[in-house]
Amino acid sequence: MEMRVPQIVAFGGGGFSMESSNTLMDDHVLRLTGKRRPKVCFIPTASGDADHYVVRFYRRFAAVADTSHVSLFRRDTGSGAVEGDLEAHLLQQDLIYVGGGSVLSLLGAWRAHRLDTILERAWLGGTVLCGLSAGSLCWFQDAVTAFHGPPERLHGLGLLPYSNCVHYDAEPERAIEFKEFIAAGMSPGFGVDDGAALHFKGTELFDVIASKPAAGARRVECVDGTVVETALSTRYLGMAAPALAA
Amino acid sequence: MQTRVPTIFAMGGGGFTMEPENPALDEFILSLAPVQVPKILLLPTASGDAGSQEAQFRATFGDRPCEPRALSLFRLGEGGPIDLRQTILEQDIVYVGGGSMRNLLAIWRVHEMDDILREAWAAGVVLAGLSAGAMCWFAGGVTKSSGEPEVTKGLGLLPGSLSVHADGDPNRLPVYERAVAERRLPAGWAADDGVGLLFKGRDLVRVVSSRPKTRAVWTEQTPAGLRRDVREPEYLPNLGHVSSEGSRIVSADVLEFRRARRHGASLRD
Repeated sequence: MEMRVPQIVAFGGGGFSMESSNTLMDDHVLRLTGKRRPKVCFIPTASGDADHYVVRFYRRFAAVADTSHVSLFRRDTGSGAVEGDLEAHLLQQDLIYVGGGSVLSLLGAWRAHRLDTILERAWLGGTVLCGLSAGSLCWFQDAVTAFHGPPERLHGLGLLPYSNCVHYDAEPERAIEFKEFIAAGMSPGFGVDDGAALHFKGTELFDVIASKPAAGARRVECVDGTVVETALSTRYLGMAAPALAA
Repeated sequence: MQTRVPTIFAMGGGGFTMEPENPALDEFILSLAPVQVPKILLLPTASGDAGSQEAQFRATFGDRPCEPRALSLFRLGEGGPIDLRQTILEQDIVYVGGGSMRNLLAIWRVHEMDDILREAWAAGVVLAGLSAGAMCWFAGGVTKSSGEPEVTKGLGLLPGSLSVHADGDPNRLPVYERAVAERRLPAGWAADDGVGLLFKGRDLVRVVSSRPKTRAVWTEQTPAGLRRDVREPEYLPNLGHVSSEGSRIVSADVLEFRRARRHGASLRD
């Protein structure tokens, strides 16, 4: 049997949650599964399993994939979410899509349900993992969160041994705080704009893609006590803008 | 200044999410605060901060003599970031909604709310709640957070155990009694829907109910086997929205004032 390489696509922001009229990012992660009709499971934990979010997921994906969702708040029967053995279900998926919201609350609830170990197994088994915002930060070793209270460093699942900062262009304060933590010794990592995403094969950065022409990402690291940003070459997934006639 | 006694009011079920037409338990909760217009804060964490739970809370408490507020651990509110500890400690009552007890405790832990609530309890902030929001204060209870009923640990402010919905969701009870018999849970209470247990410090001082013919059962393993002592609750009459003196009615200007304060900026122009 063909070995599938572990893959993660970490969005800075984008996909159906943020770009309702732009399908480029979600189309791309669907293609990465290599399946004509992939099994796609949505995990909306970071939103508290918000109903409207689950509905928007099905609206986006139900026509093109075998869709399901996991609700850690509604494990009772008949709620419409996956019932019974979560691990068996998740290990069968081609794509696991993690929604945005509170990354701290996501990590707390995941650990309580052992989703951290289950998702690592799914990743090693070749299920493509993707997500935006909290659903992007969660895969990394380090991130910075500021919820109620001052910004603090948090440890994600650590599948990717870097730090990550999402909404890098849209939330300048977040980028500033991130760089302060990098300067203070947090592991080097990435700043990713809304509409851009990092695609990892194994733990190596393989591709940087964008659903918006101007979106990008950069490597952020501390060199000799100074935080240095190095822009990463980014591939826009849409058509190149037509050249204007003179 | 009067010192406040640590107070917990744990409901087997009931209150605004389960019996919105019957405010007896919610009125009782308001009466536990030693001030006329208590600050009451909803923690809907166990539901994933479902918007519906907050809406029901506001529908019930919005025009009662209190200052209601809800706190999400998933979303920043309109006011932006707040100091969690200070916000909790300035309340008179914290009301914890039902849902997944496992998620509730795990999420509280990552936000360090467990320590804050312990501090609030010691300071005399009334801690109230139903279902997951009731069992969380005890050493343990029976949750259906993963589908099937199973034993789970609570914060342990109260040394006993609690099982909820003893009449409304009867498949929890055998799991609870077996756990107590096998000493996987300490002795404690099985409470019906509508039943509330009031603790001052660690002592049970009252058992009340919003529903007739309900009960709380003290469940304990003894050398002679499992012992069950039935406790008949005091029945709280459903006074509806208006008490006999009409004192529960909040005048229109107070309502308007509260609305203005809640929505501050938007009403100014």
